[in-house]
Amino acid sequence: MIDILALLALPALACVALVGIHAYFGLHVLRRNVIFVDLALAQVAALGATAAFLLGHAPQGLAAHVYALAFTLVAAALLASTRAWSARVPQEAQIGVIYVVAAAAALLLVDRAPQGAEHIRQILTGNILTVGWEELRWAIPLYAAVGLGYRFLARRLDGRGWLSEFLFYAAFGVVVTSSVGLAGVLLVFAFLIIPAAIGVLHADEFPRQLAIAWVAGVATALVGLGVSYAGDFSTGATLVCTYGAALAVAGVAYGLRLPHSSGATFEIAGRLGRWVGAAVLAASAIWIVVSPRTDQPVLDLLERVFPAIRSAYMDDKALDIAADAERHRERYGEEARKLRALEAERRWKGEPLDEIEVRKIGSFLKSYNEMMKGEEFVVREVRDRAREARRWWIGAVFTLFAASVLASPSIRSRRPKAGSPTPAGMARPADGRSIADR
Amino acid sequence: MQIGSRPIALSGDRDDRRVTPAKAGAQCLALLACAFILPAIAQLKIVATTAEMHSLASAVGGEAIAVSHLIPAGEDAESFQPRPQDLARIRAARAVLRVGVDYDLWLERLLRQAPGVVVIDASTDVALLDVRAGGVGPGDGHAHGRGNPHYWLDPANAEAITGTILEALAALDPPNARRYEANRLAFLARLDAKMAQWSSALRGAGALIAYHDTWPYFARRFRLRFVGFIETRPGIAPSAAHLADLLRIAKEEKVRAIVREPHQPPRDAAFLAERTGARVAVLASGVGAVREAVDYISLIDYNVRALAP
Repeated sequence: MIDILALLALPALACVALVGIHAYFGLHVLRRNVIFVDLALAQVAALGATAAFLLGHAPQGLAAHVYALAFTLVAAALLASTRAWSARVPQEAQIGVIYVVAAAAALLLVDRAPQGAEHIRQILTGNILTVGWEELRWAIPLYAAVGLGYRFLARRLDGRGWLSEFLFYAAFGVVVTSSVGLAGVLLVFAFLIIPAAIGVLHADEFPRQLAIAWVAGVATALVGLGVSYAGDFSTGATLVCTYGAALAVAGVAYGLRLPHSSGATFEIAGRLGRWVGAAVLAASAIWIVVSPRTDQPVLDLLERVFPAIRSAYMDDKALDIAADAERHRERYGEEARKLRALEAERRWKGEPLDEIEVRKIGSFLKSYNEMMKGEEFVVREVRDRAREARRWWIGAVFTLFAASVLASPSIRSRRPKAGSPTPAGMARPADGRSIADR
Repeated sequence: MQIGSRPIALSGDRDDRRVTPAKAGAQCLALLACAFILPAIAQLKIVATTAEMHSLASAVGGEAIAVSHLIPAGEDAESFQPRPQDLARIRAARAVLRVGVDYDLWLERLLRQAPGVVVIDASTDVALLDVRAGGVGPGDGHAHGRGNPHYWLDPANAEAITGTILEALAALDPPNARRYEANRLAFLARLDAKMAQWSSALRGAGALIAYHDTWPYFARRFRLRFVGFIETRPGIAPSAAHLADLLRIAKEEKVRAIVREPHQPPRDAAFLAERTGARVAVLASGVGAVREAVDYISLIDYNVRALAP
């Protein structure tokens, strides 16, 4: 347990640092409506590092970082300059163009540099799990300096058009260039957008939005790290999915906090759920009658969760055949595993296997794999025949379920009494405008 | 044109009987063309998919064949994307030499557009390891259906690979068959002389962890023990639990080196090495992946040196 905590301590610290700076910039990104700017700037930085590598500089050397930074600043200047076009061409389109051109140009450069692809990859695909103290020792002060520096300068440059825009993109570019190398593109996007979106959902003022974003972002990261460990899932991908789930929870919580709407929300959700459920069941009923031998997603899912369902439509003989085939399949699988283990062990231990023995093992493995597929075919065939024979019966059960779902009593809306207080923070402002109007 | 005591006149003009410097230059160029271009035209054109196959084909074909390869040295062969000129190269060739075992699946599309080109599958006579059948399943840790494709990393397999190449070249160019056979035997003799040296250098290399399961053939030949892999599914970063497991195994088994290839991310290998006291060994799975690996023998030579205790 102590080993695990030691293993996850630095990733957790990295998450705190990354949420800290990205939630802050994320609020600005949402306000400016330039959602994918981080991807474009990271790709431009990768292009710069690749160009440096092609010119003979060490991949992780100072020159490569300077090139990456210089390219990022050029992209920042470009984005700041084209902000004026946004009335005609949305800035997201310009960001998309910068992204694809930088990605394509990097590919062309890579073609001329042996092992060049790796250097692009190193910039774009960090791994939060293996982040080291050496990296954090530089990244944390950098994020603090850029965050505070941006806040200080932005106040002084407020309203000075191009310079103000350039400052934002340049500061953000410096952060993203570093953070994507630590955590990877997907995770940095999640750190940037999701905590900020949760903050914006649940607060109106910037300081409160930032506080909520920080708390939600850090809590979600810790949950994600725990889920990644418990479920043996890839850490970066798990964190991104956990952030997605956190946004969904925050969205539901937002719906429940809307004034006079909690009952209506439940009622609409319940009605929608019933209709969707009934439609799926009715479609399953039609599908099994029309094509009983093809995939039946709902029935397959139900059987996976409750294997006993099979005995409802398969007779004893069919069940015996299927069980026998399953037993054989497992036995062949076990034999194949033993052979593979034997071959792997004899690579270094005991008398080495000669070529003929290796070929024999390969041939046995092929045979076992084919036999396993044969047994799987038997299980499927027996099941499909039973489904075909009882398709009307299964279809009728699905139809009955669909009808009962539709006929189930609806959840009544719980309308608050007149004069009851609205949830905190969601009161209609004094000027009469809704939050969305501001 | 009359050839005798008079200077050779290449054209019919009256005043062109003297050999001027320009004419002499033109004649030299013509002779050079005969000396160099004609043999090149006579050479059998072979396109290999990878640089190591290129090297093995050159070892058999020698001067009688002109070999090129499609995947730039050092590039990850499994994520290679062909370019327009690759199709032109294949169309101009008599034969394509491929790794097979689902390693260069991208070649299929190109071959459909180049009918008539002979395909030489170098894996034909190799005893494959980690064999699977019927494609890739969800429990499969490696993305290759027929077996692990990195078979050239066992230098003993060079005999089977060059045998396949020899057979194909002899069929395509029967007059040079003996020459190909002699080249192959000379190459195998050079390889044989190295084998004992390599085996003794790698004795006592200890337990190893690799980034990707690239090394079963190399391990089998040199009795190396790989106790784990960082990347259990191609392209998917390890989980915290898997990394914790690797750290435990590394400590229990006293892992001496974490093996990665130049195109694989250095972070994960460095992370494990730092926490276990093992060193990171950068091995090359193909010719040109590192500067020292200029041909097949120097590739194995480099890997042995990089891993030797």
